[in-house]
Amino acid sequence: MIANPGNQPEVRIGFYVCHCGHNIAGVVDCPAVAAYVAGLPGVVLSRDYKYMCSDPGQELLQQDVREHRLNRVIVASCSPLLHEHTFRQATAAAGLNPFLCHMVNLREHAAWVHTDRHAATEKAKALARAAVRRVTWHRALEVKRAPIHPQVLIVGGGIAGIHAALVLAEAGKEVFLVEREPSIGGHMARFDKTFPTLDCAACILTPKMSAVGTHPRITLWTYSEVTKVEGYVGNFTVTVTRKPRYVHEDRCTGCQECVAHCVYKEAKFRDEFNEGLGKRKPIYIPFPQATPQVTLIDPLVCLNFKKGVLTNRCKQTCVEACGDRQAIDFQQQEEYLQIKVGTILVTTGFQTFDVRRMPQYGYGTFPNVYTALEVERLVNASGPTGGEVLLRDGRRPGAIGIVHCVGSRDKKTNRWCSRVCCMYSLKLAHLLKEHSGAEVYNFYIDLRTPGKGYEEFYDKLNTEGVHFIRGRVGEVTDWAVTPEEEGKLVIRVEDTLAGFVRRIPVDMVVLSTGLEPRHDAQAVRRMFNMSCGTEGFFLERHPKLAPVSTFTDGVFIAGCCQGPRDIPDTVAQAGAAAAEALALIDRGYVEQEPNTAHVLDDCSGCKSCLPLCPYAAITIDPVSRKAVINEALCKGCGTCVASCPSGSIGQHLFEDDELLNEIAGVLAE
Amino acid sequence: MRMPGCEQLESCIQCGTCSGVCPLSIYMSHTPRQVMALTRGDFKREVLHSHTIWLCASCYACTVECPQGIRITDIMYELKQRAISEGVYPRRFPIPVLAHEFNAMVQKHGRITELQLVIRMFLKTSWVAALANWRLGLDLLRTGRFSLLTERIKRRGDIARMLDAVDGTKGRS
Repeated sequence: MIANPGNQPEVRIGFYVCHCGHNIAGVVDCPAVAAYVAGLPGVVLSRDYKYMCSDPGQELLQQDVREHRLNRVIVASCSPLLHEHTFRQATAAAGLNPFLCHMVNLREHAAWVHTDRHAATEKAKALARAAVRRVTWHRALEVKRAPIHPQVLIVGGGIAGIHAALVLAEAGKEVFLVEREPSIGGHMARFDKTFPTLDCAACILTPKMSAVGTHPRITLWTYSEVTKVEGYVGNFTVTVTRKPRYVHEDRCTGCQECVAHCVYKEAKFRDEFNEGLGKRKPIYIPFPQATPQVTLIDPLVCLNFKKGVLTNRCKQTCVEACGDRQAIDFQQQEEYLQIKVGTILVTTGFQTFDVRRMPQYGYGTFPNVYTALEVERLVNASGPTGGEVLLRDGRRPGAIGIVHCVGSRDKKTNRWCSRVCCMYSLKLAHLLKEHSGAEVYNFYIDLRTPGKGYEEFYDKLNTEGVHFIRGRVGEVTDWAVTPEEEGKLVIRVEDTLAGFVRRIPVDMVVLSTGLEPRHDAQAVRRMFNMSCGTEGFFLERHPKLAPVSTFTDGVFIAGCCQGPRDIPDTVAQAGAAAAEALALIDRGYVEQEPNTAHVLDDCSGCKSCLPLCPYAAITIDPVSRKAVINEALCKGCGTCVASCPSGSIGQHLFEDDELLNEIAGVLAE
Repeated sequence: MRMPGCEQLESCIQCGTCSGVCPLSIYMSHTPRQVMALTRGDFKREVLHSHTIWLCASCYACTVECPQGIRITDIMYELKQRAISEGVYPRRFPIPVLAHEFNAMVQKHGRITELQLVIRMFLKTSWVAALANWRLGLDLLRTGRFSLLTERIKRRGDIARMLDAVDGTKGRS
């Protein structure tokens, strides 16, 4: 048994057990807990109260501190994650050091995980007893403030990253926007129209793209990736790797003379921007409105390279065409840049479901089965067919089937609803009918059109003569049973509203692919120290009340990297993330939880803690030859505390006497 | 209706994938999706009298493709067993008769004799069908595919015990 600290004045503890409505009181007998704690040594006052977090609850606490001269406070309620800040604030308002307040998590640790009222109450008493013993040893601590770098890093240049960058730059902040692809724009740049207003996606996006490209406070790094992130909120050190485009961005004017003069007279390589439906040359600009307007060279197909290695075997007509500007540089190497930023916005987006995982729909087997993203390019005026709906064999389709929920709402692939497919399928149905006059069939499980003007758009399509068949498609086959089915793709589906199984012959099948996390989302998550949900989308700090924050301070998320959503929601979220970053920056400092480690006098200088610290916060003082911990860098993980062979490292809020007494309290009768 | 071991039926979203992939759904009185809806909705009479459960060829395409992971074929089997035990299967319908005769023959001899099985089935369903197939039967006899003798295994007691054990685990006599 560890004795009471002798060097402190008399300990006067106030104990509060919160009912949390029925959340705690439904399982734990709160008055019994309060009565039990009242009899423990050092406890001056013990109460149960319906909602401690309410204003009257906090006032009660403050009043008691003053009237009863309390110098320790224990609140037994919910998780400290939720209300530790509230009760520390209340304690401080009563004139006490906030770190003399301690919380017991009766809701998550007792009420929510037990059904036996008696056992849960006994457990609550044990937890309260432990807290009473622990809090006796609490010391007053000071909150330290660290300055915030005003620069912001935005990772991903889709509509979310673009919008957030402009908001922050307009507010006067320095922004670094890093994009993996050669141009910003993301998925939105590839869409033809946007639902439900049928605004041209390029018309509304490209002004924002060029604003990003020309903004004096936005540093745009395309064809680049973040490869390393160190530091903490307010003070991140980020390494960005710039891939070689073999064209100097500052010298290229985007005249595309080099493209015209490439030794390849015909474009013959897969055009990624058009989903492979079109062709490009080895030197190219991804699309007409690309930002920055700078060409790049694909070393995998350029004749001046062999399998990506420079050989200089080509006539280099592109260099000739470029002339005095000398923008083309085959010697360009990967570049590594290091920047200091205070906050990070992750807006890395999504990828579409790989439809080859569902072979029953025939993608890759039947040439006239398309993904929705391919059709977006097909109906686009700057797409491979100039906006004409032509099949791969050059025919015009007379009947088109749109298959919803491909890679969504399916336990075998992705369980979630991708939210946007219903609406973009309706949009594509409208566009396809408008462009080709074909009969268009939608095959859906449920039509989900919750959004401003969305249901009205669905109504409009019904009057346009688009067919809606409720039923998930069983298979797409070219096996004709009747003469009308010869040479067509047959969709086998049950019309579940009529109760008949149908075979519907069409010329073109569109698969409405779902949205899923990017293939490298896990690596990104680790780099920025974020969490992921079971699906692999980045996890917000709270699904309702902190939707753009992550569990790492200073790192925010927006857009489809957090979950499927449409453009309006993405833009709203990007604005919210920018505002959160602004709030941090304009405050100017971050408060650091004083749970840092500190070295005691008996350190022998063995250095065993040095390599263990994940934040490189420990150094050896050359004079005293003892370890020194930089409090600004220490995150309070406790690794060094546990590893010190002589027990010479302590940690504020987790001191040995605090923890050992807490344990003794749990075990006491 | 409660389906032991098939509780996922509760999560059916009535998407119709089962009907869309079923090779026989076009011949069925109720589509497989409708059978699932009727089963979940406790329309016992309608389900047990439906021809659908007897047309199911157990190809398992529906079970493989179901987005909710419902074991539709297993539910079909369960429904067939209930229909037999309640005696509501369609009279003179070859599939339940064949299953019944097949089972009886295995219980008795340990294996089946095709000729006898076919004759019993035709006797209990339709003589006309037997006459229509006389040519095929003759060919099978001539090529030795049909045995005229009753085939049986040696340790018939063992197989009876095995079948009893299987029935015992399912709680059926």
